Amino acid sequence: MKNDTVYMVGVYTRTIMKSWFQYKVDAILRSLTVFLREATGIFVIYFTLLKFDTLNGWDIQELLFLFSLLFLTYGILIVFFTGLRDFGKTVRNGGFDRFILRPRGLLFQIIFSNADWFAAIGHGGLGIVLFVISAGNVGIVWNLRTVIYYIAAVIGGVLIQGAIFLLLASLNIYLLETKSLKDLLYWNMRKFAGYPVSIFHKAIQFCMIYVVPFAFINYFPAQYLLRKEDMAGYPAVYMYLTPVIGVCLYLAAYGFWRYSIRFYKSSGN
Amino acid sequence: MTKFSPYFAFARKSFLGRSAYRFDHFMGILNTILRIFIFWEIYQALYGGRAEVDGITITMVATNFILSLGLGAVFYVNDYYLPDRIQNGSIATELLLPVNIHGRMLADNLGNALFQLLFHFIPAVAVSVVFIRIAAPAELSMVFLFLLSALLGYGVLWTISFAAQMLSFWLINVWSVMTIKDVFVNVLSGAMIPLWFMPDWMQEIIRFTPFSSIYFTPVQIYLGQLSLMEILRGFLIQTLWIVILFSVGLLLWKKGQKKLVVQGG
Repeated sequence: MKNDTVYMVGVYTRTIMKSWFQYKVDAILRSLTVFLREATGIFVIYFTLLKFDTLNGWDIQELLFLFSLLFLTYGILIVFFTGLRDFGKTVRNGGFDRFILRPRGLLFQIIFSNADWFAAIGHGGLGIVLFVISAGNVGIVWNLRTVIYYIAAVIGGVLIQGAIFLLLASLNIYLLETKSLKDLLYWNMRKFAGYPVSIFHKAIQFCMIYVVPFAFINYFPAQYLLRKEDMAGYPAVYMYLTPVIGVCLYLAAYGFWRYSIRFYKSSGN
Repeated sequence: MTKFSPYFAFARKSFLGRSAYRFDHFMGILNTILRIFIFWEIYQALYGGRAEVDGITITMVATNFILSLGLGAVFYVNDYYLPDRIQNGSIATELLLPVNIHGRMLADNLGNALFQLLFHFIPAVAVSVVFIRIAAPAELSMVFLFLLSALLGYGVLWTISFAAQMLSFWLINVWSVMTIKDVFVNVLSGAMIPLWFMPDWMQEIIRFTPFSSIYFTPVQIYLGQLSLMEILRGFLIQTLWIVILFSVGLLLWKKGQKKLVVQGG
């Protein structure tokens, strides 16, 4: 019964790829467009730092490294969690009712039945480009320890954002419409996330560390590898917490999801 | 009067249509305030307590962001007005109407822009200036010239979109064109980096593009950075871009109409 999981993931992935890349030139163009759109902020910070040299002690290479973590984690995230990002739509158009009728796990179907490949290539590609540009120029010694830490931090960053998407998807079961909540909790907070969190007002820092923990997606992992002076303002242990927070938040969100799903009522269609 | 009354009705309709989505609108205002706030925080860190950099004070920088991002909310342009109608075929009925379609596009956008001015710009700027010090206008007369220049700035942004929309006669993926257009506008117009701080070689390039005419010219006038002659020159350049871009748009429109095939109609 369960041993066809891999096969199903394969079928889903092939179908999704086929539908997203039906028109090849168009698909490449759209991915490239996402890449350029997301790079807007990078162009701006690059030109700004030509004038100002550093932002709170961070030079441009270090900032690009900081940004790369944000884009890379989103690129990976969106391969798996597009179904949760767009879950509101699935509920409203009755797609979720179909999932319920099928003899497979709900979350399994949601996760593997869609992937925003243009966003994945656009964001992920930008993350890789920024990483390649900066990783050799910021004084990181890449050895087994740092590589393992980096991989763990990326997985943690993906899980943190996955947990936020899963939480918002669960709330969809009660609220039907959570777009504005998602804008408030995710997209607006994310606007702050590319920059060193230390430059912001204390209230914003509090939100970024303890409410929607974006600081753990890129700032604290980058600090572990870069050791900039502004880390003195935070407990040193924060540099090690990203994977832990990722796993804990995701498990908590998963628990809430399992709990909420019992209250699901179809919106009718 | 009767000649313009249908356009007035279109503008009124789009104005009223906006009042329906209150919560979304509130989120939009919050979005503008947050963007202003983020740039303010970044520049405070960049200035690091310095009074000025290259003769530019942090208050001038703050004013640039409040005005540019505020105007950015007012300068409403529906990039997909024509593309949507070409894609779903309703362009055919639209062309049969006894009104000028370009006039209708403009009226629709102006109605939205007025709504944004009253219910987005004013609250967003009011909240921002509570937290961030904005420079007072250099002189009272400059406020008037600023408004005039801002109106022309809207014209430049509108005609850029107008010309770009015409490409939908030939391209299916207009979204990419519009998004890349926005990248250029965002980076080169001064809305995300005040153009004083652009490297010299970039400033030379930007001089030959319409982008600095959108927000930066009005902001410079507001701050009293331009002499009367320079202001007149600024107006002239803005007007020139409007004429050039509108002509390009019209030319493409004429060519595109001949090519237009509506399936099923």
